[in-house]
Amino acid sequence: MNAYKFLRPDGSGVFTGFRWPLPGRVPGAWVRADLDPCHSGIHACAPQHLPLWIGHALYEVELDGEVVDDAMKLVASRGRLLRRIEGWDEQAYADYTRMCADRAHELARGRGLQNWDAVIEPSVPEGGALLGFVAARIAEEVDGETGYHRERAGQTEWLRDRLQLSS
Amino acid sequence: MSHSPLHISCQDVVELVTDYVEQALPAEEAAVFEQHLNFCDGCVWYVDQVRKTIDVVGELRTEDVPVETKVKLLTAFRDWRRE
Amino acid sequence: MKRYSPCEGTVNCATIAASDAALLERLRAGDEAAFEQLVESYYGMMLSVAQSYVKTRAVAEEVLQDAWLGVIQGLNRFQGRSSLKTWIISIVINIAKTRGAREARTVPFTALAPAGEEAAVEPERFRGAGDAFPGHWWAYPSNWNERPDEVILGRETLQAVTEAIEQLPEAQRVVIAMRDVAGCSPEEVCETLELSEGNQRVLLHRARSRVRASLERHLDVA
Repeated sequence: MNAYKFLRPDGSGVFTGFRWPLPGRVPGAWVRADLDPCHSGIHACAPQHLPLWIGHALYEVELDGEVVDDAMKLVASRGRLLRRIEGWDEQAYADYTRMCADRAHELARGRGLQNWDAVIEPSVPEGGALLGFVAARIAEEVDGETGYHRERAGQTEWLRDRLQLSS
Repeated sequence: MSHSPLHISCQDVVELVTDYVEQALPAEEAAVFEQHLNFCDGCVWYVDQVRKTIDVVGELRTEDVPVETKVKLLTAFRDWRRE
Repeated sequence: MKRYSPCEGTVNCATIAASDAALLERLRAGDEAAFEQLVESYYGMMLSVAQSYVKTRAVAEEVLQDAWLGVIQGLNRFQGRSSLKTWIISIVINIAKTRGAREARTVPFTALAPAGEEAAVEPERFRGAGDAFPGHWWAYPSNWNERPDEVILGRETLQAVTEAIEQLPEAQRVVIAMRDVAGCSPEEVCETLELSEGNQRVLLHRARSRVRASLERHLDVA
């Protein structure tokens, strides 16, 4: 199945530092990991996981073998990078951050949560991952867990549209 | 399996950091932990401080055995063999 | 000596056990090269453990002398129920404890406070329950990657860390000495100190958290 994966700008894993074989005209080489849902495995995102792992470089990956969906991410035994999603560039990242900040203001002001509203703009320089969380966290403050999930779903839709993701 | 929270706070991170670096967190909790690191530079730096602390403490180890000590110990070993 | 890394725990255990048997056979046959190898592999680690019980390096070295005599005399009795390494560490600890008691190592008052609910970082550094973002940092800790290695690993830093470890309560001091100074695996610490995995981690967590805090005070002022 195909999925997505955020990497650092140099193509290494955000938490592992693992150097992924990058795709060129052809996909990158397959990477194997022993499927162990506890610790190792190839981590990737279905579209609904993307807002949780916002990073600077986005790739489409092909996963193979057993794939486990553990609610926050997909874990597979084998994977390779198919292509970089070129649409996810500096501009898209900045637009996403702005969209999340605006949503956060809307939610906070709608309920008169001034102290929450005050933390939004100072967080903007830290980027989209934080702002996406801030918006969802304020939605949770307003509507509980449902609000949090609804906001994350909205972020997923924004990314899906902007990047024209098929799966 | 316990229900993992949607998210954790920085104050939780500083208490879970040892379980995280020791790879003792259950998978779902490790995911929530890393999801926090993904958006929080402060906690990324905190985890890094902990890793650096481990490195600095590791520098305290002496590898060299003083020559006199080694000679003394070898003599003791030789004596024991003769007994 | 190889440092423990969590990824290779099980592999290590198997190889160590096999090499233990071979080494032991040579030692029992009186092979001096084997003994020298044993001394070189374990001396530094034994010293770290001994120093966590007694006040000075000199006393720790005396402890080691006695411990090595104990090792030599016990070679024929060693049954291999534990690894050679944990057996040797146990001998060091037994001797160091007796010496440590005689030395009446002074434990600072703060170390005697009940450690039940001690926080890794002062609660005042996080937003409170009434603020937006409860539990979030008011100000981020500093990024130590921006510090040059000469500072992070400098003599003054090592001195600060040594003092921080000395201030720890004994159980924390021994666990951090075994894990992070001597490079023992969690299993080896649990076996030697008869601790559960969980308690080993709690002690290690408190110790590392306190040492990190001291290091932060030292580095952020410097």
